[in-house]
Amino acid sequence: MATTNYDITDYAKNEQNKEYNFTDGEVFDAAVIGAGHAGCEAALALSRTGQKTLVINLLRDNIAFLPCNPSIGGTAKGQIVSEVDALGGEMGIQADKNTIQLRMLNMGKGPAVQSLRAQVDKTGYHRSMQATLEAEENIKIFDGECSEIVVNNGKLEAVKTVDGKTFKVKAVVITTGVYLSSRTITGEIITEGGPSGFPCASKLTKSLEKIGFEIRRFKTGTPPRVDGNTINYKKFTEQKGDKNIQTFSYLTKKANKNIRSCWLGYTSPETKKIIMENLDKAPMYSGVITGSGPRYCPSIESKFVRFSDKDRHQIFLEPETLDDNTIYIQGMSTSLPTDLQHKMVESVEGMENTKILKYAYAIEYDCINPLSLLPTLEFKKVKGIFCAGQINGTSGYEEAAGQGILAGINASLFLRQKEQIILKRNEAYIGVLVDDLTTKGTDEPYRMMTSRAEYRLILRQDNADRRLTEIGRSVGLVNDERYKKFKQKMKQLESLKKELKKTVKPTKELNEFLTKLGESEIKEPTSVENLLKRPSVDLIKLNKFLKLFKGYNKDVLNAAGIDTKYDGYLSRQMLQIEKEQKLEEKRIPQDIDYFKLEGLRLEAREKLNEIKPMTVGMASRISGVNPADITVLLMYLK
Amino acid sequence: MKNINQDTIVAISTGTGSGAISIVRMSGENSVDIADKIFVSLSGEYPSNFASRMLTLGTINAQNFNEQAFCVVFRSPKSYTGENMVEFQCHGGVQVASGVLKACIAFGARLATNGEFSKRAFLNGKLSLAAAEGIMDMINAESDAEIRAGFSLLSGNLSKLASDAQNELTDILAEIEVSFDYPEETIEYITKASVKQRLKKLIDDIKNTLSTSETGKLIKSGLNVLIVGKPNVGKSSLLNNLLGLERAIVTDVAGTTRDIIEGTFLLDDIKINLIDTAGIQETDDKVEKIGIDKAKNLIGSADIILFLIDTSREFSVEDEKIFNQINGSKHIVVKTKSDLTNKCDRHFENEIEISNISGSGTDKLKAKILQFANISSTPAGSVIITNERHKEALKSALESLNNAYEGISAETLDLVSVDIKSAYSEIGEITGNTASEDIIDAIFKKFCLGK
Repeated sequence: MATTNYDITDYAKNEQNKEYNFTDGEVFDAAVIGAGHAGCEAALALSRTGQKTLVINLLRDNIAFLPCNPSIGGTAKGQIVSEVDALGGEMGIQADKNTIQLRMLNMGKGPAVQSLRAQVDKTGYHRSMQATLEAEENIKIFDGECSEIVVNNGKLEAVKTVDGKTFKVKAVVITTGVYLSSRTITGEIITEGGPSGFPCASKLTKSLEKIGFEIRRFKTGTPPRVDGNTINYKKFTEQKGDKNIQTFSYLTKKANKNIRSCWLGYTSPETKKIIMENLDKAPMYSGVITGSGPRYCPSIESKFVRFSDKDRHQIFLEPETLDDNTIYIQGMSTSLPTDLQHKMVESVEGMENTKILKYAYAIEYDCINPLSLLPTLEFKKVKGIFCAGQINGTSGYEEAAGQGILAGINASLFLRQKEQIILKRNEAYIGVLVDDLTTKGTDEPYRMMTSRAEYRLILRQDNADRRLTEIGRSVGLVNDERYKKFKQKMKQLESLKKELKKTVKPTKELNEFLTKLGESEIKEPTSVENLLKRPSVDLIKLNKFLKLFKGYNKDVLNAAGIDTKYDGYLSRQMLQIEKEQKLEEKRIPQDIDYFKLEGLRLEAREKLNEIKPMTVGMASRISGVNPADITVLLMYLK
Repeated sequence: MKNINQDTIVAISTGTGSGAISIVRMSGENSVDIADKIFVSLSGEYPSNFASRMLTLGTINAQNFNEQAFCVVFRSPKSYTGENMVEFQCHGGVQVASGVLKACIAFGARLATNGEFSKRAFLNGKLSLAAAEGIMDMINAESDAEIRAGFSLLSGNLSKLASDAQNELTDILAEIEVSFDYPEETIEYITKASVKQRLKKLIDDIKNTLSTSETGKLIKSGLNVLIVGKPNVGKSSLLNNLLGLERAIVTDVAGTTRDIIEGTFLLDDIKINLIDTAGIQETDDKVEKIGIDKAKNLIGSADIILFLIDTSREFSVEDEKIFNQINGSKHIVVKTKSDLTNKCDRHFENEIEISNISGSGTDKLKAKILQFANISSTPAGSVIITNERHKEALKSALESLNNAYEGISAETLDLVSVDIKSAYSEIGEITGNTASEDIIDAIFKKFCLGK
């Protein structure tokens, strides 16, 4: 997508956009700063729970923009999108609506690690999310830059904009993404500004520092975009979408058709040569870039440097949008100068004549230390200030959205003077994410992985609704339509589970069916439940054959199938959770002075004093706090 | 607020026997202040002015005596416990040391409980849990072999075994996890066959270690040797003979030993607990009956049973009855009173003739006990688990690994990894290391990943 310089006067002229009329001193319940993936969820959560919400965003064009790859979901991230959906959020709905290819990753590996990933039309996604925001009654979007969060005597009072306006607010959610005092780097060219040619917000960092945030500098990067019409696809392997799989949102009735493919290919020995011979021109190695970059998003140059025995690396061509034929080259993230980018792209077989539409760049931005946040995402030092998304040191659209909805919910609960919510590690990947951020912190942009979750068998793609819909309902975000649908599904699930106790006779046909799956025959009448315990027997397929259970949709059959098949493992995880629950529930008074608590090691004292964990469970996950310190803490709490 | 370690503790660190010097050790915030009140160097300086970890000669002024001694000050955190510490090295003998001890207590220190210095060292992060437990075992050690086992734990043998196992699990998990989190990379993903093979090796290693835990138990708690036989066959005499003490009451009246008497002696570094039973016989005497019931219970739990028969009498129905009771257990038949005329014509597989009067046959019996216990001696450096907690942790890890191993053919790797992760954190109970971050680090160290 080409960057346009948005003419704000055109927008103001439009009668439809009455909301552009702002008066100085206008009062809102809450302000959301930045309308990326975190900001949109936060704003919608606030607005939909009745809070008058001001969204301050640099310009309309970057609302819910996808500045890196044009896909949503992926391992562990797909689960997060469904969690956002189950809580009553928007990302899943919009992703489903704009899907151009859908896949279920790890299909053959068991339910715990299966994740949805969609290639989405990124312009379509941006447009429809923008429209959703604009349609909200309680949301007013201010196109401009926030310059200050006004805190007086430890109390949040207002937000100010660069053009001198002051808006009174009682809560604020800071979701600045990669836009805070950012600069992009391509070779020797350094540009002050946000991603993809957008401006950045350069005033707010100072204000954040003033109110007590510790500012850090992180780095990430993006690959070049090329013209899809100039690629010889014959040299690549096509990767098509999957059919008949679930969608992100539990409200979506049917998945979009797979209308685009992705393509797999490799760099060439020539690519390696070009990079290795020009490392001195790479800002990462010449010392220009100082921010901490993520290990899981390495630039192509660091891949060749760190794994020098590898002669080639995989690249993955992804379609960006339905508007044109722009292709995103996953795997070729770089900050090398533009002339080398041309050489590098042209060195790939099938891309000899490929035109670059947009150069790759690295981007550095300001973010905060998430250890200064409570697990509700509220700032410890000032009530009513919440942070979500990349400003907290994460990376990824999904991670941002997950935090955004939590921050939005809690800001709303704060405004309504209700107890805020904390998602547990055994309830949601969002819980794992926020717990990690607020107990361990992070030294690099944090990406969610299934390996980070200890209860991954419980945090599945198929059961996010069962884990979180009730929570979303209790905070007022799950509407009647979603709740009714959920309740119906639960009822169906319950009755299906009863029906699974039915026995089937060892008919010749059934045994043929089993043999075909590679399972042994049955000799006596057996319950369906027992048949399901066999590794290759799947309830949907089995029912297609047996036609025993009527009136159940695929989701219900799938859920009941997984619950039955993995019953043993699931109950073991539940047992573990119960065991650890005691520590999780043991609350620690917030006024403890850990320096006076004899027996703790110095490092543990410092960490505990900094983080002030709410429970012993949280304390036990803080790095630098060891089991002996926990014993001391428990002794003290007795 | 409860301050856990605020007080200062003191103890005589050298043994209570006679020696050339005695060491009195103090630990806690006030230890240097207390030392100031009882010690002054030859040049008139007080301990608070001493350089850390330097031996200074001076005078201890205790209530009843002045005594020349050395004093060393260790300042937190550079000390064994991590706290301020003071050590006095004074002349040997209980008198001097306990005088110093009393002086410290008079100025505010408290007598340390058993193992308290090590406990503080552990709480202050100076010792790993395994090492601290090793030291505790050493303090409580009663036999050389037990001390050796303590040493081996301290020198980290068990820690090493556990951390080796954990490293291997980290590696396996990293390879499994990468296939979940990065399903579309051009890397060689781990195969079930290879996971299975590596699990097998781990299972074998842990099994081996656990099998030494029986030896470990023997070293720590000793070998329980039960002496049974009908009344007046010489059980108590044998006990006394082995213990070299007049522990049991020996009379000529049958049924005197009503209670179970325990005594302990060292046999080639192995602690042997001798248990004498009330003479097993049918009886109406209530008190004696209790003793007999206990004996029957003990037969089941003993490591070795010494079945005594009196060779000066014929093998009786009563002997037969007792023999039937113990025949299923590890036993040695001890033919007593070999100095008298032999009237017993029964022969047994494992029999030894002894005379409690002349003492003949005792050495043979001891050798036989050792042979039966299947302990020659403990090779120094081998991993012996003497701590129940470690054993339990290894046992649960083994169970988890077995679950993983058995599940691997039929189940998907995400399920198998549930069990492998359990094993990982169970072994972490020994190493103290349960961070999942290690697995993620391993993933990125090993594989080239990312967009």
